Amino acid sequence: MSIIQVRNISKIYNKEHIPVRALNGIDLDINKGEFTAIVGPSGSGKTTLLNIIGGLDTPTEGSVNIHGTDMFSLKDRKLIDFRLHHIGFVFQAYNLIPVLTALENVMFILQMQGRPHKECVARGMELLKQVGLEDKVDKRPSELSGGQQQRVAVARALASKPDFVLADEPTANLDSKSTSDLLDMMLQLNELGETTFIFSTHDQRVVDRAKRVLTLVDGEIETDEVR
Amino acid sequence: MNILPIISLSWKNIWRNKTRSGVVIVAVILGTWAGVFMSAFMYGLSMQYIRSELVNFTSNIQIHTKAYNIEPMPEYFIPEADSIIQVLEQKAYVMEVTSRTKVSGLASSSSSTFGVTIRGIDPDREKKVTQLYTFMKEGDYFEESRRNQIIVGEKLANRLNQKMRSKVVLNFQDVDGNISAAAFRVSGIFKSPNSMFDESNVFVRSSDLSRLIGHPGAVHEIALLVDNFKNAPTYAKELSFGDALEVQSWSDLSPALAYTDSMVGTMLYIVMTIILIALTFGIINTMLMTVLERQQELGMLMAVGVNKIRTFSMILSETFFLAIFGAPFGVFLAWVGITLLEDKGINVSAFAQGFEMYGMGTVIYPELQPDYYFNIGILILVVTLIASIYPSYKALKLNPVEAIRKI
Repeated sequence: MSIIQVRNISKIYNKEHIPVRALNGIDLDINKGEFTAIVGPSGSGKTTLLNIIGGLDTPTEGSVNIHGTDMFSLKDRKLIDFRLHHIGFVFQAYNLIPVLTALENVMFILQMQGRPHKECVARGMELLKQVGLEDKVDKRPSELSGGQQQRVAVARALASKPDFVLADEPTANLDSKSTSDLLDMMLQLNELGETTFIFSTHDQRVVDRAKRVLTLVDGEIETDEVR
Repeated sequence: MNILPIISLSWKNIWRNKTRSGVVIVAVILGTWAGVFMSAFMYGLSMQYIRSELVNFTSNIQIHTKAYNIEPMPEYFIPEADSIIQVLEQKAYVMEVTSRTKVSGLASSSSSTFGVTIRGIDPDREKKVTQLYTFMKEGDYFEESRRNQIIVGEKLANRLNQKMRSKVVLNFQDVDGNISAAAFRVSGIFKSPNSMFDESNVFVRSSDLSRLIGHPGAVHEIALLVDNFKNAPTYAKELSFGDALEVQSWSDLSPALAYTDSMVGTMLYIVMTIILIALTFGIINTMLMTVLERQQELGMLMAVGVNKIRTFSMILSETFFLAIFGAPFGVFLAWVGITLLEDKGINVSAFAQGFEMYGMGTVIYPELQPDYYFNIGILILVVTLIASIYPSYKALKLNPVEAIRKI
């Protein structure tokens, strides 16, 4: 059963002057529990597609349905709230809040959802344990390695038990060992918790481990390989 | 909406760059301290001027006949002045009372003549209401019991070419409208802070003057001091001695002083507002730097679902913390300074000549009304709120997609 339905998505930047077509009529279904990598050369539209699926950017035309909700029919405030409850984000540069500890970073999303403090702490601890950082809960991002920071970012993305996690080049800033560890951890979360992951990546190591690989070229899906 | 995590995050954010936040907080402390202390100095200066004018010349409340107020003629004296004084002395808020016989006349010497107000006073009572006795430069303040002694201002003495023991002839009208003249001997020369006053007023005993105008014991003016000069207008309204008499407070008698009193409060708020506006620009600058530096982080927060109200609240709280952390400390420091100096005063003898022209001493005692501290707190809150709007607006205008990609 597909949790994400992307229909005829096009995105044209700079429409008034020199239009740049980033996406061109993309149709895509993502099912629950998928571990999907979106690959393609620079400028192929990977990040744009991810941003649109995540509700961070709006398409020039087309629609994105998440569990039957047409995301772009939502008003700005509802859309932000939708992201808070339904989508997890992992960014290339980790983007943790530097003044918060690892645990506080994970708890932050839950606190934004208005969950009770006890529940936030319990869930935060559980997730940090899952990503192998139970001994780093009180560490601030500056005290963690890149790989550890990205693990915290994954834990944060999973905190609210989202429908899916979007990860934009999550291994781009990591060394081989950290990349391998992060992928192992994410695959484990995918298999055990049926968490749906969608990546944009250039990294062949990620592509090799993905269960589905979408190749974008010039804003169109060239291949869709399910492994 | 749970805003506590945002406030907690804001608190941590302001300590992200301790030096920068510290500089802003110190600036707020110094600015607030300087503003409040300056206000206390200005207020103390103004109050000193007003008090000096009241104690030296106007007193707090004066009573005359209505007719005398229209035309100060000798026959318009206050009937049964002694019983009025007795009534006044019964009032709890009346501190001191004196009565005066007051007529207009001419002071002549062998060389010239000047128009003057002849003030017949009861020296002992007058001493408690006005400060004439402190301004004596030569001679004494009616210490001898001889008749027809006169105290003149230094400026008038010079104009009349008079010295101690010289003879001055006063010409004035009596209660029947006849012109009288009497010779007085200069027993004292005074120099008050107001040279115009010195030139146009002479002091004699009330008993001498009232006898000479043909109505011994005649009183034209009753002057009193009350517990707090600020309450004098209220007390004046409360006092009534029939239709023939008019009770006037210092604000009726001296509108310029009343204007000074009412304006000083406004001036203090204007000064404080100017200082706070200057501080506001410092805070806006710091917060704008903060927003620009944290674009990526703010973009991330918006992306993961922190809504605009929360983002706005976060920047607002950070601005608030910067101001609110420093301002009470600044106000407290100012309060300590004012409390320490309100009795000791600040010696401004370097500018003493200028101040003396206005009848003030060389030591200024800073003071401030308690409600001013509270109002300053409200003012700081409002100004901080205004200061936070622009940085918050800049944060809200960030596009998460673009902001996340900025490094």
